[in-house]
Amino acid sequence: MEKNHVKTLLPDYLDNTLSESEKNKVAAHIASCASCKNALTELSTLLNHIKDEPLVAASEQLRTNFFEQLETEKQNSSKVVSLDNRTDKKTKNWTPFLLKIAASIALLFVGYFFGQQQQVNRLDKEIAQLNHETLALKQTAVLSLIGNKSASKRIQGVQYIEELSAPNEAIVAAIADRMLHDENTNVRRTAVEVLSEFTVSESVKNSFIQALQTEQDPGIQITIIHLLGKIQEKNAIAPMQQMLDKENTKSYVKEELKSIISTII
Amino acid sequence: MQKVTDEKLMQQAKNGNLDVLKILFERHHLHVFNFLLKMCGDRMLSEDITQDVFYKVMKYRDTYNNGKFVSWLFTIARNCLNTHFRRGPKEHEPIETVAQKQLVNDEQQTDYSDLHLALQQLSASDRELIILNRFQEIKYNELAEIVGSTPGAVKTKISRALQKLKTIYFKNV
Repeated sequence: MEKNHVKTLLPDYLDNTLSESEKNKVAAHIASCASCKNALTELSTLLNHIKDEPLVAASEQLRTNFFEQLETEKQNSSKVVSLDNRTDKKTKNWTPFLLKIAASIALLFVGYFFGQQQQVNRLDKEIAQLNHETLALKQTAVLSLIGNKSASKRIQGVQYIEELSAPNEAIVAAIADRMLHDENTNVRRTAVEVLSEFTVSESVKNSFIQALQTEQDPGIQITIIHLLGKIQEKNAIAPMQQMLDKENTKSYVKEELKSIISTII
Repeated sequence: MQKVTDEKLMQQAKNGNLDVLKILFERHHLHVFNFLLKMCGDRMLSEDITQDVFYKVMKYRDTYNNGKFVSWLFTIARNCLNTHFRRGPKEHEPIETVAQKQLVNDEQQTDYSDLHLALQQLSASDRELIILNRFQEIKYNELAEIVGSTPGAVKTKISRALQKLKTIYFKNV
Protein backbone atom coordinates (compact mmCIF):
# COMPACT_ATOMS: atom_id res chain seq x y z
CA MET A 1 0.00 0.00 0.00
CA GLU A 2 2.67 2.38 1.00
CA LYS A 3 4.86 1.23 -1.88
CA ASN A 4 2.17 1.97 -4.42
CA HIS A 5 1.61 5.33 -2.85
CA VAL A 6 5.24 6.22 -3.25
CA LYS A 7 5.43 4.87 -6.80
CA THR A 8 2.74 7.25 -8.00
CA LEU A 9 4.75 10.10 -6.55
CA LEU A 10 7.97 9.08 -8.33
CA PRO A 11 7.49 11.05 -11.57
CA ASP A 12 6.90 14.23 -9.61
CA TYR A 13 9.77 13.33 -7.31
CA LEU A 14 12.06 13.19 -10.33
CA ASP A 15 10.57 16.39 -11.71
CA ASN A 16 11.21 17.96 -8.33
CA THR A 17 7.65 19.28 -8.18
CA LEU A 18 6.73 17.72 -4.82
CA SER A 19 6.34 19.68 -1.63
CA GLU A 20 9.16 19.52 0.90
CA SER A 21 7.38 17.08 3.23
CA GLU A 22 6.35 14.75 0.38
CA LYS A 23 9.89 14.81 -0.98
CA ASN A 24 11.27 13.82 2.41
CA LYS A 25 8.72 11.06 2.69
CA VAL A 26 9.63 9.60 -0.73
CA ALA A 27 13.34 9.86 -0.02
CA ALA A 28 12.91 8.10 3.32
CA HIS A 29 10.85 5.35 1.69
CA ILE A 30 13.29 4.76 -1.14
CA ALA A 31 16.13 4.39 1.32
CA SER A 32 14.34 1.51 2.97
CA CYS A 33 12.55 -0.08 -0.03
CA ALA A 34 14.61 -1.79 -2.75
CA SER A 35 11.62 -2.24 -5.05
CA CYS A 36 10.80 1.43 -5.00
CA LYS A 37 14.43 2.33 -5.43
CA ASN A 38 14.60 0.12 -8.49
CA ALA A 39 11.42 1.63 -9.83
CA LEU A 40 12.88 5.07 -9.36
CA THR A 41 16.04 4.16 -11.27
CA GLU A 42 14.06 2.66 -14.12
CA LEU A 43 11.74 5.60 -14.29
CA SER A 44 14.67 7.98 -14.25
CA THR A 45 16.23 6.10 -17.16
CA LEU A 46 12.97 6.08 -19.07
CA LEU A 47 12.41 9.77 -18.56
CA ASN A 48 15.97 10.49 -19.63
CA HIS A 49 15.45 8.41 -22.76
CA ILE A 50 12.25 10.30 -23.44
CA LYS A 51 14.13 13.55 -22.99
CA ASP A 52 16.83 12.38 -25.36
CA GLU A 53 14.40 11.08 -27.95
CA PRO A 54 15.24 13.08 -31.05
CA LEU A 55 12.51 14.96 -32.82
CA VAL A 56 11.70 13.47 -36.16
CA ALA A 57 12.10 16.09 -38.85
CA ALA A 58 9.11 16.88 -41.01
CA SER A 59 9.44 17.38 -44.74
CA GLU A 60 10.17 20.84 -46.09
CA GLN A 61 6.90 20.58 -48.00
CA LEU A 62 5.03 21.17 -44.75
CA ARG A 63 6.56 24.61 -44.30
CA THR A 64 6.19 25.54 -47.97
CA ASN A 65 2.54 24.56 -47.97
CA PHE A 66 1.80 26.45 -44.79
CA PHE A 67 3.48 29.61 -46.02
CA GLU A 68 1.50 29.36 -49.23
CA GLN A 69 -1.72 28.98 -47.29
CA LEU A 70 -0.69 31.96 -45.22
CA GLU A 71 -0.18 34.12 -48.32
CA THR A 72 -3.57 33.10 -49.70
CA GLU A 73 -5.17 33.87 -46.37
CA LYS A 74 -3.44 37.25 -46.26
CA GLN A 75 -4.87 38.12 -49.64
CA ASN A 76 -8.30 36.90 -48.66
CA SER A 77 -8.26 38.75 -45.39
CA SER A 78 -7.02 41.91 -47.11
CA LYS A 79 -10.00 41.53 -49.40
CA VAL A 80 -12.15 41.19 -46.34
CA VAL A 81 -10.55 44.30 -44.91
CA SER A 82 -11.26 46.23 -48.06
CA LEU A 83 -14.87 45.06 -47.92
CA ASP A 84 -14.99 46.18 -44.31
CA ASN A 85 -13.64 49.54 -45.39
CA ARG A 86 -16.34 49.75 -47.95
CA THR A 87 -19.03 49.14 -45.39
CA ASP A 88 -17.29 51.69 -43.18
CA LYS A 89 -17.41 54.13 -46.03
CA LYS A 90 -21.06 53.37 -46.45
CA THR A 91 -21.81 54.38 -42.93
CA LYS A 92 -19.52 57.38 -43.19
CA ASN A 93 -21.18 58.32 -46.48
CA TRP A 94 -24.51 58.83 -44.81
CA THR A 95 -23.99 62.59 -44.59
CA PRO A 96 -23.25 63.12 -48.30
CA PHE A 97 -26.10 60.76 -49.05
CA LEU A 98 -28.44 62.88 -46.93
CA LEU A 99 -27.03 65.98 -48.61
CA LYS A 100 -27.88 64.44 -51.96
CA ILE A 101 -31.44 63.89 -50.82
CA ALA A 102 -31.60 67.44 -49.47
CA ALA A 103 -30.20 68.76 -52.75
CA SER A 104 -32.77 66.87 -54.78
CA ILE A 105 -35.58 68.15 -52.55
CA ALA A 106 -34.18 71.67 -52.88
CA LEU A 107 -34.04 71.24 -56.65
CA LEU A 108 -37.63 70.06 -56.63
CA PHE A 109 -38.74 73.15 -54.72
CA VAL A 110 -36.66 75.52 -56.83
CA GLY A 111 -38.10 73.92 -59.94
CA TYR A 112 -41.60 74.18 -58.58
CA PHE A 113 -41.27 77.84 -57.60
CA PHE A 114 -39.50 78.72 -60.82
CA GLY A 115 -42.26 77.07 -62.79
CA GLN A 116 -44.85 78.86 -60.69
CA GLN A 117 -43.06 82.17 -61.24
CA GLN A 118 -42.99 81.53 -64.96
CA GLN A 119 -46.68 80.73 -64.84
CA VAL A 120 -47.39 83.96 -62.92
CA ASN A 121 -45.27 85.95 -65.36
CA ARG A 122 -47.12 84.45 -68.27
CA LEU A 123 -50.46 85.08 -66.58
CA ASP A 124 -49.41 88.65 -65.87
CA LYS A 125 -48.47 89.08 -69.49
CA GLU A 126 -51.73 87.56 -70.57
CA ILE A 127 -53.67 89.77 -68.19
CA ALA A 128 -51.78 92.83 -69.42
CA GLN A 129 -52.51 91.79 -72.97
CA LEU A 130 -56.16 91.26 -72.14
CA ASN A 131 -56.32 94.58 -70.30
CA HIS A 132 -54.77 96.23 -73.28
CA GLU A 133 -57.27 94.55 -75.55
CA THR A 134 -60.22 95.53 -73.39
CA LEU A 135 -58.91 99.09 -73.24
CA ALA A 136 -58.73 99.21 -77.01
CA LEU A 137 -62.18 97.66 -77.15
CA LYS A 138 -63.54 100.21 -74.69
CA GLN A 139 -61.98 103.07 -76.62
CA THR A 140 -63.50 101.75 -79.80
CA ALA A 141 -66.79 101.44 -77.94
CA VAL A 142 -66.53 105.02 -76.65
CA LEU A 143 -65.75 106.33 -80.10
CA SER A 144 -68.50 104.38 -81.81
CA LEU A 145 -71.05 105.26 -79.11
CA ILE A 146 -70.12 108.93 -79.34
CA GLY A 147 -70.83 108.76 -83.05
CA ASN A 148 -74.23 107.14 -82.50
CA LYS A 149 -77.42 108.84 -83.65
CA SER A 150 -79.23 108.27 -80.39
CA ALA A 151 -78.52 110.95 -77.76
CA SER A 152 -78.74 108.46 -74.90
CA LYS A 153 -76.16 106.24 -76.58
CA ARG A 154 -73.90 109.28 -76.98
CA ILE A 155 -74.27 110.09 -73.25
CA GLN A 156 -73.47 106.48 -72.50
CA GLY A 157 -70.38 106.76 -74.68
CA VAL A 158 -69.21 109.97 -73.04
CA GLN A 159 -69.73 108.48 -69.56
CA TYR A 160 -67.92 105.39 -70.65
CA ILE A 161 -64.68 107.35 -70.54
CA GLU A 162 -64.75 107.01 -66.74
CA GLU A 163 -64.19 103.28 -67.26
CA LEU A 164 -60.96 104.03 -69.04
CA SER A 165 -58.13 104.48 -66.54
CA ALA A 166 -55.98 106.46 -69.02
CA PRO A 167 -57.95 107.61 -72.03
CA ASN A 168 -55.83 108.73 -74.97
CA GLU A 169 -55.89 112.12 -76.62
CA ALA A 170 -58.18 110.97 -79.42
CA ILE A 171 -60.90 110.02 -76.90
CA VAL A 172 -60.57 113.26 -74.98
CA ALA A 173 -60.64 115.21 -78.25
CA ALA A 174 -63.74 113.29 -79.35
CA ILE A 175 -65.51 114.12 -76.08
CA ALA A 176 -64.42 117.77 -76.28
CA ASP A 177 -65.90 117.79 -79.78
CA ARG A 178 -69.15 116.44 -78.32
CA MET A 179 -69.11 119.18 -75.69
CA LEU A 180 -68.72 121.86 -78.34
CA HIS A 181 -70.86 120.58 -81.14
CA ASP A 182 -73.45 118.09 -79.91
CA GLU A 183 -76.99 119.18 -80.65
CA ASN A 184 -78.29 117.59 -77.47
CA THR A 185 -77.90 119.66 -74.26
CA ASN A 186 -77.65 116.57 -72.05
CA VAL A 187 -74.83 115.14 -74.12
CA ARG A 188 -72.95 118.43 -73.88
CA ARG A 189 -73.54 118.65 -70.12
CA THR A 190 -72.31 115.08 -69.56
CA ALA A 191 -69.26 115.85 -71.70
CA VAL A 192 -68.49 118.91 -69.52
CA GLU A 193 -68.84 116.83 -66.35
CA VAL A 194 -66.61 114.11 -67.74
CA LEU A 195 -64.00 116.53 -69.01
CA SER A 196 -63.84 118.30 -65.63
CA GLU A 197 -61.63 115.34 -64.64
CA PHE A 198 -59.09 116.22 -67.30
CA THR A 199 -58.57 119.98 -66.70
CA VAL A 200 -54.82 119.44 -66.51
CA SER A 201 -54.83 118.91 -70.28
CA GLU A 202 -54.17 122.15 -72.20
CA SER A 203 -56.49 121.14 -75.06
CA VAL A 204 -59.31 120.44 -72.58
CA LYS A 205 -58.86 123.93 -71.06
CA ASN A 206 -58.93 125.47 -74.51
CA SER A 207 -62.06 123.47 -75.32
CA PHE A 208 -63.73 124.88 -72.17
CA ILE A 209 -62.81 128.46 -73.15
CA GLN A 210 -64.09 127.82 -76.67
CA ALA A 211 -67.29 126.30 -75.24
CA LEU A 212 -67.77 129.42 -73.15
CA GLN A 213 -68.16 131.39 -76.33
CA THR A 214 -70.38 128.94 -78.20
CA GLU A 215 -72.49 127.44 -75.41
CA GLN A 216 -76.02 128.78 -75.22
CA ASP A 217 -77.45 126.69 -72.35
CA PRO A 218 -77.19 128.77 -69.17
CA GLY A 219 -76.83 125.64 -66.93
CA ILE A 220 -73.84 124.43 -68.88
CA GLN A 221 -72.45 127.97 -69.05
CA ILE A 222 -72.54 128.22 -65.25
CA THR A 223 -70.90 124.79 -64.86
CA ILE A 224 -68.06 125.76 -67.22
CA ILE A 225 -67.63 129.13 -65.50
CA HIS A 226 -67.30 127.40 -62.12
CA LEU A 227 -64.85 124.89 -63.53
CA LEU A 228 -62.64 127.55 -65.02
CA GLY A 229 -62.82 129.51 -61.79
CA LYS A 230 -61.77 126.46 -59.86
CA ILE A 231 -58.68 125.90 -61.98
CA GLN A 232 -57.91 129.67 -61.97
CA GLU A 233 -57.70 129.77 -65.78
CA LYS A 234 -56.53 133.32 -66.65
CA ASN A 235 -57.07 132.83 -70.38
CA ALA A 236 -60.78 132.46 -69.61
CA ILE A 237 -61.15 136.07 -68.30
CA ALA A 238 -61.38 137.65 -71.77
CA PRO A 239 -64.16 135.36 -73.09
CA MET A 240 -65.96 135.80 -69.74
CA GLN A 241 -65.85 139.63 -70.19
CA GLN A 242 -67.28 139.11 -73.68
CA MET A 243 -70.11 137.03 -72.22
CA LEU A 244 -70.87 139.82 -69.77
CA ASP A 245 -71.14 142.22 -72.65
CA LYS A 246 -73.41 139.92 -74.67
CA GLU A 247 -77.09 140.87 -74.58
CA ASN A 248 -78.48 137.33 -74.70
CA THR A 249 -76.52 136.16 -71.67
CA LYS A 250 -78.90 135.40 -68.80
CA SER A 251 -78.72 137.80 -65.85
CA TYR A 252 -78.02 135.08 -63.31
CA VAL A 253 -75.25 133.80 -65.55
CA LYS A 254 -73.78 137.31 -65.55
CA GLU A 255 -73.94 137.31 -61.73
CA GLU A 256 -71.98 134.08 -61.67
CA LEU A 257 -69.50 135.48 -64.22
CA LYS A 258 -68.88 138.58 -62.11
CA SER A 259 -68.25 136.62 -58.94
CA ILE A 260 -65.94 134.10 -60.69
CA ILE A 261 -63.93 136.75 -62.55
CA SER A 262 -63.25 138.45 -59.24
CA THR A 263 -61.83 135.19 -57.85
CA ILE A 264 -59.47 134.65 -60.80
CA ILE A 265 -56.50 136.82 -60.13
CA MET B 1 16.56 39.86 -26.95
CA GLN B 2 13.63 38.55 -25.02
CA LYS B 3 11.52 36.03 -26.80
CA VAL B 4 7.98 37.16 -27.45
CA THR B 5 5.59 34.67 -25.90
CA ASP B 6 3.42 32.42 -28.04
CA GLU B 7 0.38 34.04 -26.52
CA LYS B 8 1.45 37.55 -27.52
CA LEU B 9 2.25 36.38 -31.03
CA MET B 10 -1.11 34.66 -31.34
CA GLN B 11 -2.77 37.82 -30.11
CA GLN B 12 -1.07 39.72 -32.91
CA ALA B 13 -2.17 37.14 -35.45
CA LYS B 14 -5.70 37.52 -34.16
CA ASN B 15 -5.41 41.27 -34.73
CA GLY B 16 -4.51 40.67 -38.37
CA ASN B 17 -0.70 40.32 -38.37
CA LEU B 18 -0.62 36.96 -40.08
CA ASP B 19 3.15 36.93 -40.52
CA VAL B 20 3.71 36.09 -36.86
CA LEU B 21 2.09 32.72 -37.56
CA LYS B 22 5.33 31.86 -39.34
CA ILE B 23 7.18 32.26 -36.06
CA LEU B 24 4.63 30.10 -34.27
CA PHE B 25 4.89 27.55 -37.03
CA GLU B 26 8.67 27.41 -36.68
CA ARG B 27 8.43 27.06 -32.94
CA HIS B 28 5.82 24.34 -32.82
CA HIS B 29 5.31 22.46 -36.03
CA LEU B 30 7.93 19.82 -35.21
CA HIS B 31 6.33 19.17 -31.84
CA VAL B 32 2.91 18.82 -33.35
CA PHE B 33 4.30 16.59 -36.05
CA ASN B 34 6.14 14.39 -33.57
CA PHE B 35 3.12 14.15 -31.33
CA LEU B 36 1.03 12.99 -34.26
CA LEU B 37 3.73 10.66 -35.48
CA LYS B 38 3.97 8.99 -32.09
CA MET B 39 0.21 8.80 -31.92
CA CYS B 40 -0.43 7.26 -35.32
CA GLY B 41 2.98 6.09 -36.45
CA ASP B 42 2.29 7.22 -39.99
CA ARG B 43 4.66 9.81 -41.32
CA MET B 44 2.59 10.97 -44.28
CA LEU B 45 -0.59 11.10 -42.28
CA SER B 46 1.18 13.03 -39.51
CA GLU B 47 2.42 15.58 -42.00
CA ASP B 48 -1.03 15.97 -43.51
CA ILE B 49 -2.59 16.45 -40.12
CA THR B 50 0.13 18.88 -39.03
CA GLN B 51 -0.64 20.86 -42.15
CA ASP B 52 -4.29 20.82 -41.23
CA VAL B 53 -3.56 21.88 -37.64
CA PHE B 54 -1.66 25.00 -38.69
CA TYR B 55 -4.23 25.79 -41.35
CA LYS B 56 -6.85 25.72 -38.62
CA VAL B 57 -4.72 27.90 -36.33
CA MET B 58 -4.61 30.44 -39.13
CA LYS B 59 -8.24 30.08 -40.16
CA TYR B 60 -9.74 30.07 -36.69
CA ARG B 61 -7.31 32.60 -35.16
CA ASP B 62 -10.32 34.65 -34.04
CA THR B 63 -11.46 31.85 -31.76
CA TYR B 64 -8.19 31.86 -29.83
CA ASN B 65 -9.28 32.73 -26.29
CA ASN B 66 -5.93 34.16 -25.07
CA GLY B 67 -5.24 31.03 -23.02
CA LYS B 68 -2.02 29.03 -23.16
CA PHE B 69 -1.17 28.79 -26.84
CA VAL B 70 0.31 25.30 -26.63
CA SER B 71 -2.86 24.00 -25.01
CA TRP B 72 -4.93 25.48 -27.78
CA LEU B 73 -2.56 24.15 -30.43
CA PHE B 74 -2.63 20.59 -29.09
CA THR B 75 -6.37 20.70 -28.60
CA ILE B 76 -6.63 21.41 -32.30
CA ALA B 77 -4.07 18.71 -33.09
CA ARG B 78 -5.99 16.15 -31.01
CA ASN B 79 -9.27 17.10 -32.65
CA CYS B 80 -7.75 16.85 -36.11
CA LEU B 81 -6.41 13.43 -35.32
CA ASN B 82 -9.69 12.25 -33.86
CA THR B 83 -11.63 13.68 -36.79
CA HIS B 84 -9.33 11.88 -39.15
CA PHE B 85 -9.94 8.53 -37.51
CA ARG B 86 -13.61 9.15 -36.98
CA ARG B 87 -14.32 10.40 -40.48
CA GLY B 88 -14.05 7.16 -42.43
CA PRO B 89 -14.33 4.07 -40.28
CA LYS B 90 -14.17 2.04 -43.46
CA GLU B 91 -11.23 3.86 -44.93
CA HIS B 92 -9.41 4.11 -41.66
CA GLU B 93 -9.24 1.48 -39.03
CA PRO B 94 -9.32 2.54 -35.38
CA ILE B 95 -6.17 4.19 -34.14
CA GLU B 96 -5.20 1.16 -32.06
CA THR B 97 -5.19 -1.23 -34.97
CA VAL B 98 -3.48 1.25 -37.28
CA ALA B 99 -0.77 1.75 -34.72
CA GLN B 100 -0.25 -1.95 -34.32
CA LYS B 101 -0.21 -2.50 -38.04
CA GLN B 102 2.25 0.29 -38.55
CA LEU B 103 4.42 -1.25 -35.90
CA VAL B 104 4.44 -4.60 -37.67
CA ASN B 105 5.01 -3.03 -41.08
CA ASP B 106 7.84 -0.83 -39.99
CA GLU B 107 9.54 -3.29 -37.70
CA GLN B 108 12.10 -4.30 -40.29
CA GLN B 109 13.00 -0.75 -41.13
CA THR B 110 14.08 -0.04 -37.53
CA ASP B 111 13.16 3.49 -38.35
CA TYR B 112 11.55 3.90 -34.97
CA SER B 113 13.24 4.03 -31.62
CA ASP B 114 12.64 1.45 -28.89
CA LEU B 115 10.84 4.09 -26.97
CA HIS B 116 8.55 4.77 -29.90
CA LEU B 117 7.78 1.09 -30.25
CA ALA B 118 7.16 0.76 -26.53
CA LEU B 119 4.77 3.69 -26.69
CA GLN B 120 2.77 2.02 -29.43
CA GLN B 121 1.88 -0.77 -27.00
CA LEU B 122 0.11 1.61 -24.66
CA SER B 123 -3.52 2.50 -25.06
CA ALA B 124 -4.13 5.59 -27.20
CA SER B 125 -5.21 7.70 -24.24
CA ASP B 126 -2.21 6.65 -22.10
CA ARG B 127 0.13 7.22 -25.02
CA GLU B 128 -1.39 10.63 -25.65
CA LEU B 129 -0.95 11.70 -22.04
CA ILE B 130 2.66 10.55 -21.88
CA ILE B 131 3.58 12.17 -25.17
CA LEU B 132 1.98 15.44 -24.22
CA ASN B 133 3.27 15.46 -20.66
CA ARG B 134 6.70 13.96 -21.11
CA PHE B 135 7.66 14.72 -24.69
CA GLN B 136 5.91 18.05 -25.12
CA GLU B 137 6.34 18.97 -21.45
CA ILE B 138 2.82 20.19 -21.03
CA LYS B 139 1.85 20.72 -17.41
CA TYR B 140 -0.98 18.85 -15.67
CA ASN B 141 -3.25 21.91 -15.59
CA GLU B 142 -3.01 22.54 -19.31
CA LEU B 143 -3.15 18.86 -20.10
CA ALA B 144 -6.38 18.57 -18.15
CA GLU B 145 -7.70 21.39 -20.27
CA ILE B 146 -6.71 19.68 -23.50
CA VAL B 147 -8.16 16.27 -22.70
CA GLY B 148 -11.10 17.63 -20.74
CA SER B 149 -10.26 16.28 -17.32
CA THR B 150 -9.03 17.49 -13.94
CA PRO B 151 -5.31 18.03 -13.13
CA GLY B 152 -5.50 15.43 -10.34
CA ALA B 153 -6.98 12.74 -12.55
CA VAL B 154 -4.48 13.52 -15.29
CA LYS B 155 -1.61 13.28 -12.83
CA THR B 156 -2.72 9.88 -11.59
CA LYS B 157 -3.30 8.60 -15.11
CA ILE B 158 0.12 9.72 -16.26
CA SER B 159 1.78 8.15 -13.26
CA ARG B 160 0.18 4.81 -14.02
CA ALA B 161 0.85 5.10 -17.74
CA LEU B 162 4.49 5.74 -17.03
CA GLN B 163 4.69 2.60 -14.93
CA LYS B 164 3.15 0.61 -17.79
CA LEU B 165 5.54 2.14 -20.29
CA LYS B 166 8.47 1.46 -18.01
CA THR B 167 7.51 -2.19 -17.78
CA ILE B 168 7.17 -2.54 -21.54
CA TYR B 169 10.31 -0.59 -22.24
CA PHE B 170 12.59 -2.49 -19.90
CA LYS B 171 11.14 -5.80 -21.01
CA ASN B 172 12.28 -5.11 -24.57
CA VAL B 173 15.62 -3.58 -23.81
